[in-house]
Amino acid sequence: MAIQIVMDRTGDSRHPFNPGDAQELAKAEQRFYELTSAGFTAAVRTGPGQTSQLRSFDPHAEETVFFPRLVGG
Amino acid sequence: MRKKRCSFPGWSADKSVIAVLRFTPSRPGERSRIRAAKALFIRHGAERTPEGRSLRLLRHWLSPTQLAQFGHLGYFEVVGGDTGKRYRIYTGAATNVCEVDENDRPKVGLCFLPHGDLPIGDVMLAQKIALETCEGRVLAVARRFTPAGFLFSHTRPLR
Repeated sequence: MAIQIVMDRTGDSRHPFNPGDAQELAKAEQRFYELTSAGFTAAVRTGPGQTSQLRSFDPHAEETVFFPRLVGG
Repeated sequence: MRKKRCSFPGWSADKSVIAVLRFTPSRPGERSRIRAAKALFIRHGAERTPEGRSLRLLRHWLSPTQLAQFGHLGYFEVVGGDTGKRYRIYTGAATNVCEVDENDRPKVGLCFLPHGDLPIGDVMLAQKIALETCEGRVLAVARRFTPAGFLFSHTRPLR
C-alpha cells in the first residue's frame, strides 16, 4: 500500500491506495495534481531523513507528503 | 467482632482499604511500572491531538542524526539543497529557523511557514523539506531577522 499524506489543521489527512489497482492509482494521481495546482508542494522520502520534491505524479512513491504554499512570516 | 469504621461511610479499615490508600509500601518495581503506564497513557493521549500527530509525522521523516538532535537539543539541522548552507530548525512555528555559521552560531534568522493554521510538527517538517528541496523558493519568501540569543534560548526538547 502507498499513502498520500496531506498536512492540515488536524495534523494530516491520510489517503492510502493500492498502486496495483488502476482505479485507485488514477484517483491518487488526480489528488496529486489537484493539490499541486492548488499550491501544495509534494515531497517523497528517498532515504532515512532524505527528501525529494515531486513535480509530477510518481506511481512508485510509497509515501508522499503535501504541504501548503510557503509564506513569509 | 465488629470492624472499626473509617470516616467514609461504608468503608471499613481492613487491609484492602489501607492498600488502596497506599499505607503499605509498594512492591519492588511497582513505581517504575506505574510511571511507564502513566507515560504511555499521556503519550497515547497526546498523539491523538493535531500537535501530537504532527510531531509523530515529523519524527518519522527525520534522519537518525536529526532525530537525536531534536530529542536532546530541541532543534535539528538541515543542509540547504541549493547552496549547501546549514540551517537550524528550532522547536516552534514562527521565527524558529536560522542559518548557522562555521562557528555553529546563528547567522541570519528566516521567518517562513506553510500557509494555513498547521500544528507545530507540520510547520517544522514543511520547513525541513522546503530547505532541502526548494531552498531558492524559501529564500525568496522568507522574512529575515537578526537572531537574538533569547529567541532560541528557551527552546526545549519535545519528547
